[in-house]
Amino acid sequence: MIRSLARGLWFALLALLMAGAPVQAETPDAALAELLKEARSGCAQPSDRLTRILCGGQVRPGVRAYYPLFGMRDGTDYEGYEPDVARAIAQRLGVEHEFVRVNAASRIPLLAEDRVDFVIATMGHNTQRDGQVRFIRPHYYQSETVLVGPKALPIRDWQDVAARTICVTVGNGSNAELVSRKARLMLFDEAGVLPERLKDKTCTLAAQDDSFFAFYFIEPAFAATFEQKMGFAQVPWGMAVARTGSDKLARALDLLSQIFHRDGVFLEIARKHRIGTAFLENQMKVWQRPECNTADGSTNRACILPALHASLQPTQFADRVNAFEGWFEGKFGLDLTLPMLKTVPALSLFLNGVVNSLILIAGALVATLGFAILFGFALGSEWRLLRWPARLVTVVLQSSPIVLTLVIAAVLANAIVPYSSAVALAASILALGLSNGSNAGQAVSEAVVSLHHEGRHTGRELFVHALGRSATSIVSFLVNAAKGTPIASFIGAPELLSALTDITSFSSGRATTYCLLLVFYTLVVMIVVWLCNRLRAWLERSEVPA
Amino acid sequence: MNALPHQLWSDFVPRLLSAMVTNFEISFIALALGLLIGLPLALLRARGGALGVGVSATIISLMRAAPTFVVMFFLLNVLRDVSVFGVKLGMSGVMTVAVSLVPYSAAYAADAGVEALRQLRRGSPLGALLFLPNITRAFFVIVMSSGAAAAIGVPEGISVILGEAALLPSLGDRMIVFAIGIVMFGVPLQLGLALMRWLQRELGRRMMPV
Repeated sequence: MIRSLARGLWFALLALLMAGAPVQAETPDAALAELLKEARSGCAQPSDRLTRILCGGQVRPGVRAYYPLFGMRDGTDYEGYEPDVARAIAQRLGVEHEFVRVNAASRIPLLAEDRVDFVIATMGHNTQRDGQVRFIRPHYYQSETVLVGPKALPIRDWQDVAARTICVTVGNGSNAELVSRKARLMLFDEAGVLPERLKDKTCTLAAQDDSFFAFYFIEPAFAATFEQKMGFAQVPWGMAVARTGSDKLARALDLLSQIFHRDGVFLEIARKHRIGTAFLENQMKVWQRPECNTADGSTNRACILPALHASLQPTQFADRVNAFEGWFEGKFGLDLTLPMLKTVPALSLFLNGVVNSLILIAGALVATLGFAILFGFALGSEWRLLRWPARLVTVVLQSSPIVLTLVIAAVLANAIVPYSSAVALAASILALGLSNGSNAGQAVSEAVVSLHHEGRHTGRELFVHALGRSATSIVSFLVNAAKGTPIASFIGAPELLSALTDITSFSSGRATTYCLLLVFYTLVVMIVVWLCNRLRAWLERSEVPA
Repeated sequence: MNALPHQLWSDFVPRLLSAMVTNFEISFIALALGLLIGLPLALLRARGGALGVGVSATIISLMRAAPTFVVMFFLLNVLRDVSVFGVKLGMSGVMTVAVSLVPYSAAYAADAGVEALRQLRRGSPLGALLFLPNITRAFFVIVMSSGAAAAIGVPEGISVILGEAALLPSLGDRMIVFAIGIVMFGVPLQLGLALMRWLQRELGRRMMPV
């Protein structure tokens, strides 16, 4: 009895010890071998792309044909980091590869049309694309947007970026980040022109993927002059397969990616092509960790990276805007796109832009009128000590192109107070007022001189009549000031042109946006012309002798 | 010894002068196109009957109200994607800026043209010749406005000045660069204005009854 009880306790203890001992998890290698074996057994009725690839003996990777270091076509062959990774995958699957050329626009449609089996084509993994394709985890690379500029230019952090012009490409997801940091954007359609624009000094700074600039930094002359100032907006790159009929293929690629990271295959290929390896070195450490080096590692949140959250918060009425666009296109056959009404950041930029434009126009008109009176008084004064400096300032202002006057005003303002949108607006109002007011003031002073020669008026009465006589010139420079306000966008004043340029940098609908902008400013200027004509009539009445 | 003056004279000033050729190129194109559009509008306004006057006055006032900077961005972003009979209307940067200045130059040429025709009708050919100094003034206004091209990446004078200034850490050095820019743009402008004043004075003198 005692003996049987002791035996029972001994077995219970043994069972407890066995339950507490670490269980050796299935490795990705074993899981992959099992998956491939299972897929090969289904050749009679291939239900998944993996079975078709293994049974057909061929895989079709979609790769880039003109993306230096990452995917370049060389005659009939392809070279670069991504084609080499695709070759390594084909080799592990034991099949031949047949590359299919893809680009940024075609890589997802070609997957959906079953013209490629998977793509490895510089595709950033973001939440928007998650709905279109199945991304492979872990990611095979990670890029970030880098700010590149001359070595002599001191850029340490985001504070140094505010108010600077940065050359970017339209539609780059990181543009919104630059806008939020108060940088001014100069938009280009093709990334290929950015290095050239840096070299000819049209662009002081350019922002683009580090993978793009990696090629140019291989050039000794480029690397000697330029450097990466800072990086931001990291985005993981993922291979992708079609969302349907590719479950096993996706699983095989997940497992292969784990193995390639763990064994340094990705890293070795990256070193061969001289691309940045910091991310891959870090990932190798991650995938060598016991908790990640398992068959389920690719779903372990502690091991994988999240997709970039790319979608902007829609406005409450975004659906109605979309419906209106559809109705408009159906009714008139015109492609109307209103990006400024669809997302919260765009709407906010747009509304602020309208308000700031109106403030800027009103401010520029008041400043022009004020400076016209001041310059008119000083230039028409009998005191040389007042007249000559005023004449010198007028000649300098007349000789300075308005863009340059604006920049000088902004530089001086920023030397006194830190950059902000309000400072840019104030500097713009001052520059536009000075530039137009000095010219109008010259016309006032000429009227003062002519009235003085006529000898009919003196003192304050003479000056009031001079304003009436020069009313046409004053009005013409007031209109000029109102027309010139969009130039304030050049120094980062957040007026409508600036706001819409920012909106179109991260959304579509450039044609509609700029048409609306032209209509807005033309209408505003026409209203200003009407108001100014009323002012002219009032001023001219003061010149009519009683 | 401060290396800045040497660097400015040996590198910056030659580059600026070379880039300013683009400003004059833009201005010549804008003025030529402006005259091409503005003079027929002036004729229509002077001799086109009620309808002609109405049409030309509307077009001229619209062109006068169109802000150059916005027109430039409109051309850059809208017309580049428009095709006519399969031919894309996309223009080079220089041409985009030049065309954006056409509404101003055409409206100015039309106004000056209307005045010249009025003087001719009054039997004053010398008064009509004032058209020339007026157009000279418009040309220099356009040269100064062409600096807006810097905003769309056209390598002209202003973009060279701004590019150079951006690399200088001290405010004083940047101001020197800006001052050189003002002198470089100002000298042709002041010479042009002096020429215009001389022309006006000469014509005025000849118009005075003996």
